[in-house]
Formats: sequence, structure tokens, C-alpha cells
Amino acid sequence: MSEETFPINIWINEERLEALNKAGVAGMTKDVLAGLKVIQVPANPSQRDDLLKRYPMAKCDTATTKTIELLPREVKDQLLELVVKKGSVDVVGDLLASLG
Amino acid sequence: MVDNALSPHGGTIVERLEEPTTAKERIKGLPRIEIRSQLAREVMSIAYGYFSPLEGFMTEADVDSVVNKLTLASGYVWSIPIVFDIGERELQELGVKQGDTVLLTYQDNPLATLDIEEVFSYDLDVMAQKVYGTKDEKHPGVRRTLAYAGRFLGGKVTIVNPPKINPPFDEFFYPPRLLREEFSRRGWKRVVAHQTRNVPHTGHEWLMKGAWFAANADAVLANPVIGEKRAGDYIDEAIIVTHDALRKAGYFAENIHMTSLLFWDMRYAGPREAVFHAIVRKNLGCTHHMFGRDHAGVGTYYDPYAAHEIFEELPDLGIYPVKALEWFYCPECAGIAYEEQCGHKDAAQRFSGSLIRSIIQDGVQPPRLLFRPEIFELVMECAEKYGGGSPFVTESYLGRGDPVMTVPAL
Repeated sequence: MSEETFPINIWINEERLEALNKAGVAGMTKDVLAGLKVIQVPANPSQRDDLLKRYPMAKCDTATTKTIELLPREVKDQLLELVVKKGSVDVVGDLLASLG
Repeated sequence: MVDNALSPHGGTIVERLEEPTTAKERIKGLPRIEIRSQLAREVMSIAYGYFSPLEGFMTEADVDSVVNKLTLASGYVWSIPIVFDIGERELQELGVKQGDTVLLTYQDNPLATLDIEEVFSYDLDVMAQKVYGTKDEKHPGVRRTLAYAGRFLGGKVTIVNPPKINPPFDEFFYPPRLLREEFSRRGWKRVVAHQTRNVPHTGHEWLMKGAWFAANADAVLANPVIGEKRAGDYIDEAIIVTHDALRKAGYFAENIHMTSLLFWDMRYAGPREAVFHAIVRKNLGCTHHMFGRDHAGVGTYYDPYAAHEIFEELPDLGIYPVKALEWFYCPECAGIAYEEQCGHKDAAQRFSGSLIRSIIQDGVQPPRLLFRPEIFELVMECAEKYGGGSPFVTESYLGRGDPVMTVPAL
């Protein structure tokens, strides 16, 4: 059985969409919730715990969406940069490694 | 045998308010205790009758009965201990004992008196385990309980100097007697309460609308709790005015919706807190209370529908629980759909208050099907006006003191 993952929703505003378009990876976004664009970056349980410890204002919404929300905007920007660079959404490990 | 169906709870609205002019003489020379904001809010809720039949902070018999039997010593159902804690050292320094009266000050001004009926201790581990079903300190209610100072003062409280409720909260301060009069003036006999600590998204809006249908109600009372905040929560000003704005913007008709505030620091006690919410809203004059998924829960400590089940085990509380499931966005229906009605469950896209906050925090305006544009604009307006640019609680928002009430000099 594969390990459960907890997506981090990176909501795509105009600035982020422009960056994705420039890098030619805008196709990685998903349309959800009546007109929002999102990139979902998966975190495994240990990465989730690490992120929640580092950013106490973030929250894993265990009741409804099973997603990690409320990470600081600059952290999401960093994640998005990594997504653009790698062309893949498997970037939480890279982020945590860069944070030391 | 008591009748738990009596409304208000216990049959009478408690009001313990003394005229400041007469109180001024009575409080001269009393030992003073400066209280924290949580206790100030509880003093208000007791003295204005939100917590009827409580007339003060609980004595040991009440605490023990609440913890073990879910009732007050008198037999009336009650689920959360309402206690006044004090450190042993402070108690010694004050030199107060059973039979004494102390002056409770807040913001260094007189707020209320407390007639000490009992000084006691209680096993905090037992209190936490029984009330929250866990001793895990990650649970915010457990943490609050274990942080109580070692001793408790039980006894009646009387407000001697009513605080000024500051704008924008002032127009939503309807204590039980006043709110009941207002319901009567409007001709509302069946009112369903909506508990919230959030700015409303359309999931909340539909919960309220669904509860209105289910209860065949005259009206919905949106009753946000105003209490302790954590960094990242919506600021209280935004919560209260956006609920009212749902009606002003026409999402509820003028004659079926009202907003009032409740002073309360959430305990996140899940099913026990649901019972507490029901009793308080009964005291406000509501006949029904809506309970959604994971009501007053936190993390995974409670079954998502534990708050629905607990009422099955209790006598008639004189307020009827309206049990709601989830509303979600369904791309097939192209709208907000109800879990039990929609046949496209596999397509369901769920959203929550945290998810909406996350969208806003990322600099994106949520679509109007999820979050009304009038509400979004108002949230942003509140951010500028009250939040130092942020609609969410920041360290500087927390540091500016109590925005809700100001106790004047007496």
C-alpha cells in the first residue's frame, strides 16, 4: 500500500501564473472549486510533521480537505520555484533540505 | 429531579449587575485581583445570564458533578467547568478566605465582585481527561486546563462597572434578556443558532440556510464566539461584521437573520462543547442549534459526528439539535451541494475555513460560489481598518490589548 500523502495547495495568483507560463509549465495546474487554479505538492507524513513544526501557523486540515494549508506565502513561493525548476511536484524534500 | 427543558436553563435568566453608583461604596477597601481576559469574558457571560443558571464560578461540588456526571450539583445538564483559578502564593498574599468578597479588576479598573463561597483544589489531570477525553497536551483545552493555577475560588460574581463594548462589536452585544426581547419584537418564535469562529464562506451560508429549512425556523441567529485568538485566525472585527454583511448583501432576507456575539474562549471539547453551546444558545432564546461536522473539535480527538450523538444520551434540553452533514462544491451540479442529496460524491470538492484563508493568504480572491465578493471586500476593509493590513491575527494585533471591551474608571 502506498504511503498516504497530504497535498499542499499552492493557489495560483496572476504573478504565479506568469512565472509558470514563462517556464512553460502552466499545464501543471489543476482547475478546481469553480474557477481556481492550484498546484498540489504532496508531503508525506514525516514531511507534514516537519512543516507544521517549522511553521506553527500552518494547519493540516484533518477534518475536511486532508490538505496542508496556511503555510506562509513566501514558503509557497519557494515551493513553486522548485516546481518550476524541477518540472515536478515532488519538491517538499528539496525545500526541507534547503532549510537545513 | 430538575426539568432540563426549561428555557432559559434553570428557568430564570441570571442577571447580576449592580448600579455603579451604589457599588462604588461597597467595593471600597476590598482586596483586588486583576484578572486575565478569559476570566473577564466569563464574568460578563455569567453576570449577563449567558451561562444561566450559573451565578458565579463553580464550587467543587459543581466542578466534580460536571466532570463526572455532565450535570451541575443541582442536576441541570452542564458540560464544561467554569472555574476561577488562582495561585497558592497570590491567595496567601491576598489573605482571602471563604466568606470574603474580592474585587475583580480588568484593565486595572473595577469590573466585578466575587463572593468567595469556597477555596478548593481539583485534580487537573482528571478534569482534562474527563472533559476532553484525553490528557494529550497538544489538545488546546487540555493545555488550558493543565495551565490552571493550583487553587480555585468558587462563588457568585456581580458586575459593578459594566465595560464599554467597543465598535464594531457594540451593535452585536445582545445579552440574553435583551435578545429574547428582540426576538419577541420581531415575532420570532423558532430561531436556529449557528455557532462560528470564522468569516463565513458559502459552506457556512448553506449550513445556516439548511438549518433554517430543517428547523422550519423563523430566523437564524449567527452567534460568533469572541475570545482568545491565535496568530493566523481571522481578526474578530472581520468575523462579526461579515456575518452581518451576509444579510445586508441580501444572501439572507432582512427578516430571517440576525448576528449577535458571545464572549467565550473555545475549549475545543467536541461533543461536550456542543452541549455547552446548546445551553448558552437556549439562554439566548434559540429553540434550535445547528451542529455540523466536527463541531468544536480539533485534530482527530473526536469522531467527526460525536457532537450529533451526544444529544441522544441526554434528557430534553429544551433546544433541538439540527444535525447537518457537509456542503461541498460539486462541479457536476456547478454549485454548492449537500452530502446526503448530491449523487456526484466522487466529484465532490470539499472546502473549509482553513482552505479559504489559505487562498486569501496566497493573494487570490476566491470565486463567488465559495466566498461572496461582498464578504471578501469587507474582510480586506477590516484588514486595513483593524488588522494593520492583515485580515489575520498577527503578533501586533495580539499585542494591542482587548479590542472588544474597555472597562472605564469607577
